[in-house]
Amino acid sequence: MLLLELFWSFVKIGFTSFGGLSMIPLISAEMISHGWMTASEVSDIVAIAEMTPGPLGLNCATFAGMRAAGLAGAFIANMGALAPTFTLCAVAAVFFDHFRDNKYLSRIMTGVRPACVGMVAGVVVDLVIVNYADMAGKINIPSAVLGVVDLILLLKFKMSIPKVLILSALAGIVLFGVIGL
Amino acid sequence: MLAKLYMQFLTFGAFTFGGGWSIVAQMKALYVDREKSLTDEELLDITSIGRSLPGTMIGNIAMFYGHRVAGFWGGVACMFGMITVPMIILIIITSFYTAFQHNIWVASAMRGVRTAVAPVILSALMGMIKSAFKFPPCYVIALAMFGLYFFMRVNPIWLVVIGAVLGLIVCEYYERRSLNNASA
Repeated sequence: MLLLELFWSFVKIGFTSFGGLSMIPLISAEMISHGWMTASEVSDIVAIAEMTPGPLGLNCATFAGMRAAGLAGAFIANMGALAPTFTLCAVAAVFFDHFRDNKYLSRIMTGVRPACVGMVAGVVVDLVIVNYADMAGKINIPSAVLGVVDLILLLKFKMSIPKVLILSALAGIVLFGVIGL
Repeated sequence: MLAKLYMQFLTFGAFTFGGGWSIVAQMKALYVDREKSLTDEELLDITSIGRSLPGTMIGNIAMFYGHRVAGFWGGVACMFGMITVPMIILIIITSFYTAFQHNIWVASAMRGVRTAVAPVILSALMGMIKSAFKFPPCYVIALAMFGLYFFMRVNPIWLVVIGAVLGLIVCEYYERRSLNNASA
């Protein structure tokens, strides 16, 4: 059953993700393996989620749920992604003072953080392969140049993410739409 | 009370862009600076535990705060308040995206946007690196997980679980070693 499958997917994503970008490898793997999204659509949702309010993981859940099963899908996917909040976090709230200095939590994070760095680096390579190539799988020069400019704007000029994404959208309209590269 | 919490978090949720830090800033402005119903330390505690538990940080923070003020249902009210506006916006955008995905202007704009996604993630990755390598073996964990993800296509869910177990082992090792050194 589709809704149940969607819910379970996001429960898994929710319980193994620790905020923001660490969700992307999990979402990407689940969405692509179920055929709910293509690799380019994963890029699109990351961009859309960064430009709109709300946490990335939940925005991805809404997008994926909606695409897979309409409004009910969007709601179910959000509830799945929030499952750790309903359960673990509600329990932690009761025993808040115990959790504050819990050594196992910080020990687990000592291993999970570098694991996330490795996986997210893998996602970056995946996205580079998909987003800078044309239909034939050859590198697309205008896209690659635009990517380098974006990186410089972000790292060197510290431009905010929504601004960089809007500028890239405008550049895309001019380069690929008007000029037709 | 529940309605008030719901409305407050509805406002917070409408103005959180990328990452969860803007909600923390808004909570500080309202609860710490204006209402003085929460101290800076308490907000910091809520934030740091919310971050280190699985799931979305903002959802966890909303649950902690709501629970503190009005129990479990307070937490639920805050959480639903926070997701309402983003969910409605995303539902509208997704409908448009699905309808106009193949329109030439939308497709061109999305092609442009896609070129920025890898740089955006890369720049955020730079921020993650600072706190990720507490002990030298952490570098090995990162490299191994990259390989397992990229070359072997192991499901990331397992990689997170493996990372968690390795974290426990590595920390145990370093703690015993420092105990031994202290007693020697």
